[in-house]
Amino acid sequence: MKVLSIAWINVHRALRDRTGLFFLVALPLLLVFIIGAAFGGSMKPVVGVVGDAGALRSDASVQVRDFADEPALRAAVEHGEISAGLVRAGTPVLLTRSDRSGQQVRMLVTSALTREANRLSAGEFVASHAGIDRDTALSVVDSMRVEPVEVRATTTGEALFPEGFSGFDLGASNQLIVFTFLNALTTAAALVETRSFGVTRRMFATPTPARVIVAGEALGRIAIALLQGLIVVAGSALLFGVRWGDPLGAAALLVAFALVSGGAGLLLGALCRTQQQTGGFGILLGLGLAAFGGCMVPLEFFSPALRTVAFATPHGWANDGFAALTRRGGDLLSVAPHLGVLLGFAAVLFSLGAWRLRLAVTR
Amino acid sequence: MTVLSCSGLRRRFGDVLAVDDVSFTIAEGETYGLLGPNGAGKTTTISMITGVLERDAGEVVVDGVPMSPDAVAAKRLVGYVPQELALYPDLTGRENLRFFASLYGAGRRRVDEVLEVVGLADRAGDLAREYSGGMKRRLNVAIGLLHEPRLLVLDEPTAGVDPQSRNQIMENVRALAAEGMAILYTTHYMEEAERLCDRVGVIDSGRLIAEGTRRELVERLGERDRISLQLDGDLSHAATVLGAIPAVRGLAPHGHGLELVVDDARECLPVVLSAISTNGAVVRSVEVTEPNLETVFLHLTGKALRE
Repeated sequence: MKVLSIAWINVHRALRDRTGLFFLVALPLLLVFIIGAAFGGSMKPVVGVVGDAGALRSDASVQVRDFADEPALRAAVEHGEISAGLVRAGTPVLLTRSDRSGQQVRMLVTSALTREANRLSAGEFVASHAGIDRDTALSVVDSMRVEPVEVRATTTGEALFPEGFSGFDLGASNQLIVFTFLNALTTAAALVETRSFGVTRRMFATPTPARVIVAGEALGRIAIALLQGLIVVAGSALLFGVRWGDPLGAAALLVAFALVSGGAGLLLGALCRTQQQTGGFGILLGLGLAAFGGCMVPLEFFSPALRTVAFATPHGWANDGFAALTRRGGDLLSVAPHLGVLLGFAAVLFSLGAWRLRLAVTR
Repeated sequence: MTVLSCSGLRRRFGDVLAVDDVSFTIAEGETYGLLGPNGAGKTTTISMITGVLERDAGEVVVDGVPMSPDAVAAKRLVGYVPQELALYPDLTGRENLRFFASLYGAGRRRVDEVLEVVGLADRAGDLAREYSGGMKRRLNVAIGLLHEPRLLVLDEPTAGVDPQSRNQIMENVRALAAEGMAILYTTHYMEEAERLCDRVGVIDSGRLIAEGTRRELVERLGERDRISLQLDGDLSHAATVLGAIPAVRGLAPHGHGLELVVDDARECLPVVLSAISTNGAVVRSVEVTEPNLETVFLHLTGKALRE
């Protein structure tokens, strides 16, 4: 009962802190949205056109927006309002940004313009040979049905990301790992504060054994980490349709990683003497481990050496565990090794944190 | 009946012997003042008595139950009010009390009672950080009262508070002692110790160098109360009359009057004034000087209490 009281006071204080709530609720979901939108890949490119859009207008793979003049079109491309701009006065001029998406749009536009040129050539040919006017010839060309060349395509190897895997799916698990850990480290500041106020010592003057105080503080940190994880899971599923894979596996991974995060928060709070120290170390560890653990760049893009480093961090294991569930169709059994390693991390962190906090309380 | 008995307390931090062979007792309903300059060992002594600090040697017994850091039963008997404001500023007064009540096993009704006792009932729903310094101190005291302890330990409970809150805290302490609670009180304010404490112990460099009531300590130093009288009339006749009073231990001319050395100025003064008036002299002024704890402290430690 006393363990729950101490744990609850930690959660209660965390929920009362408005700045903390922003980092707990709003920021993780905002980042899921931003990353999802940035890497979503499901939106049609918008091509601005000055003049006749021609075949582009009927092309299902692009969206056409008309512009009055070239300066306006150029400004829109430069500001990123549209993917590319096409000026159709004389020789067509295509304006794109110098990035990969610009190259993709160039291929789409070139293909459409080539189709349009082919149609006009065929029309000219029919008109001159059949002795009919140009418009009639073009309608004859349009009425012709040519069987497309069949290209048989097969896939080989595994796709990095499965069909239908969106940027939201990728961003959500990363943000879950980053924020669960980072916010648990932030709660270390509250533990330092509690100690510096003399509240921890005062708790020890009550008929409450040191082990109960330590357990309560630890449980409080786990509860906050778990709450953070649940907010990202539920929020991203409801708001952005993120799929978390096998529910049992996802729940087990979430709990295991919350234990790791809570343990890290307890250890940091027991080791540091000032809130400034916890802030500095917390951000350094939170972001550093996230980067090495593949939360900034997918593990699949890591070199073999860096992948080895990634799997020395709990983030790497959690990341790979969620990838197994969401990208590789895994279940609870397939993430069992990940769970084992994460629980090992948690056990070590909690043992060290509890030992250090007990010393801080009783000395 | 003895509520607190500590004997031979010793604690060392590295090379520093913070507390050395400290022994004293506190009886039911007694207020004991532990006085000493900064760094004298008061807080270390209190920490061992409340069971938050392991001792190297010695024994602490509260109401017959031995105290140690693991002694849950003994801790149930002690209320601790630390020097620092050991409470959560981002919780309300009531939330702070409820939290500690859950650790002491006290009920919600007791929380409301304690809020009334310390005069915070009407501000119980406000965040502690919005309280004035005095209100925070009263909340700090309230936490120590939640479980109606047999021994209340107050470590500088009035440091930096306004006179109104200080008076309220002192009145609370007096009332609790009257109800039979044993109280261990440390303070930097000598007048508080003189007003509240039945006995005081003077601690310096980790050792309890003197102990007793104010009068006992004063007498041990050879100091006595003095009454200075300015008189109109026959001084030699007055001196003869006053010298015959048993409580008057000495007498000397002093300006246009006499200075008397007496056992207890407050008890003796009415007898002295009566003797003078019945012998035809007229008293123009009276000045009573009582050697106080400040004098005792300065004499014993060579330092003022606030050093």
